[in-house]
Amino acid sequence: MTRRVYLDHNASTPVHPEVVAAMLPYFSEIYGNPSSVHGFGRDARSAVDAARERVAGFLRVRADELVFTSGGTESDNFGLKGLALARGRGHVITSTIEHHAVLRSAQALEAQGFAVTYLPVDQYGMVDPDAISIMHANSEVGTVQPVRAIGAIAREAGVPFHVDAVQTFGKVDIDVDAMGIDALSFSSHKVYGPKGIAGLYIRRGTKMVSIQHGGEHERRRRAGTENVPGIVGLGAAVEVRARDMKAEAERVSALRDRMWEGIRARVPDVRLNGHPTERLPGTANLSYRNVESESIVLGLDLKGIAVSAGSACTAGSVEPSHVLVAMGVPLDWAMGAVRSSLGRSTTADDVDYVVASVAEVVAKVRKAMPVPAA
Amino acid sequence: MRYSATLVEHFLNPRNAGLMRNADGTGSEEYDGCGDLTRFYLRVHGGCLAEARFQAYGCGPTIAAASVATELAAGRTVEELTLLKAQEIEDALDGLPDDRKHAAEVAAGAMRAAALDALGRLRGERAE
Repeated sequence: MTRRVYLDHNASTPVHPEVVAAMLPYFSEIYGNPSSVHGFGRDARSAVDAARERVAGFLRVRADELVFTSGGTESDNFGLKGLALARGRGHVITSTIEHHAVLRSAQALEAQGFAVTYLPVDQYGMVDPDAISIMHANSEVGTVQPVRAIGAIAREAGVPFHVDAVQTFGKVDIDVDAMGIDALSFSSHKVYGPKGIAGLYIRRGTKMVSIQHGGEHERRRRAGTENVPGIVGLGAAVEVRARDMKAEAERVSALRDRMWEGIRARVPDVRLNGHPTERLPGTANLSYRNVESESIVLGLDLKGIAVSAGSACTAGSVEPSHVLVAMGVPLDWAMGAVRSSLGRSTTADDVDYVVASVAEVVAKVRKAMPVPAA
Repeated sequence: MRYSATLVEHFLNPRNAGLMRNADGTGSEEYDGCGDLTRFYLRVHGGCLAEARFQAYGCGPTIAAASVATELAAGRTVEELTLLKAQEIEDALDGLPDDRKHAAEVAAGAMRAAALDALGRLRGERAE
């Protein structure tokens, strides 16, 4: 059996054993519909309420300010469209490096008559603070935005502020009051919770319209029977994060830096994309100049190592990451971008194996390369 | 794994990778919009290919296609190589996924270009 190392925690994470244990009864023992008035329903309702309290406690918000959704994508759609549509026509400000769930929601609003401004970013992927829907941290390069400064400006201007915190929730401290956040998207499966469950925080009194219509669920803000096992799982995941988050961030950051230092020492023509310090604990996006990232991903996959490519070759056309392009990363570097995202199971031994493997794969691929000037 | 064992083997152990000095023919092909690039260097003896080397920039299949093409081409006449088809390279790799067919096309195009270059030089020498 080949050794396997998973370095794609920004894409998804394994469900924590404590979370699995918390969820299990809610598949076949406590299976009622939380909206039902009978005992089966009430049991499910108390589980949903308890999980909501847990998440609210973790985020230091009120339980009635939380709406559970099906995922980060839905939360982003709801957060941005819900805020914008509640104000009729108007002007939406976001950035060029947002997740597609935000960028394409903004485009949908444009099609409905909204004016949308896409703020550029600097070489580290940081925006000039003056905004409305901004991601807390970018999933590809891990740069953490100055949301507190942006929130202060938004608040002064009386503009509602939505933050896509899918990559920071449970990894980096979030204070919605201090940061001036009115709506916050967060997800479960990036922090060792199950897939298919996420949430949107909506500050009390914020004007919002619903995107999904139907029953009276979630205080009439998001219709659909609650995903009870998922919600219980999210609640349990949050409990584990509250306990482990700080120590894990320190450990994972040290491993991430060990990996970068190791690769830098052994591989020529490599650079780190993203902010040198204001970055997610486990994220390292490295570019190997004049190498195609997919060949590195394949080479590492054959060694049992899971990382993700910064450029995608689909049907014969390569699209470099929109994030790296927005950051002004030159094409000969952007095409060779590979993201590693470390997590709770990553060990120093894994990192050393990855460093050795990267050095070997990149050298091999470079050997087959045309001279750069050609 | 979406790639054949043969493709993976060629990617991991590319045959004849690298530059050749004073080649008898060279040719490149770039895939529009993708940036994939393959270049072959040919050494010709008596109208037949004695040695081929390649350089390639691209995804795993592009490197594997160039590698397998150097083996396919061995011993063939330069004329034959001017007609090399992408399908032959793909078959030698035991198939390519639909979205990676271009890897064989780039390799075949580069090999044909290199063979044409070699052929032109051969005919030039004869004319002298």
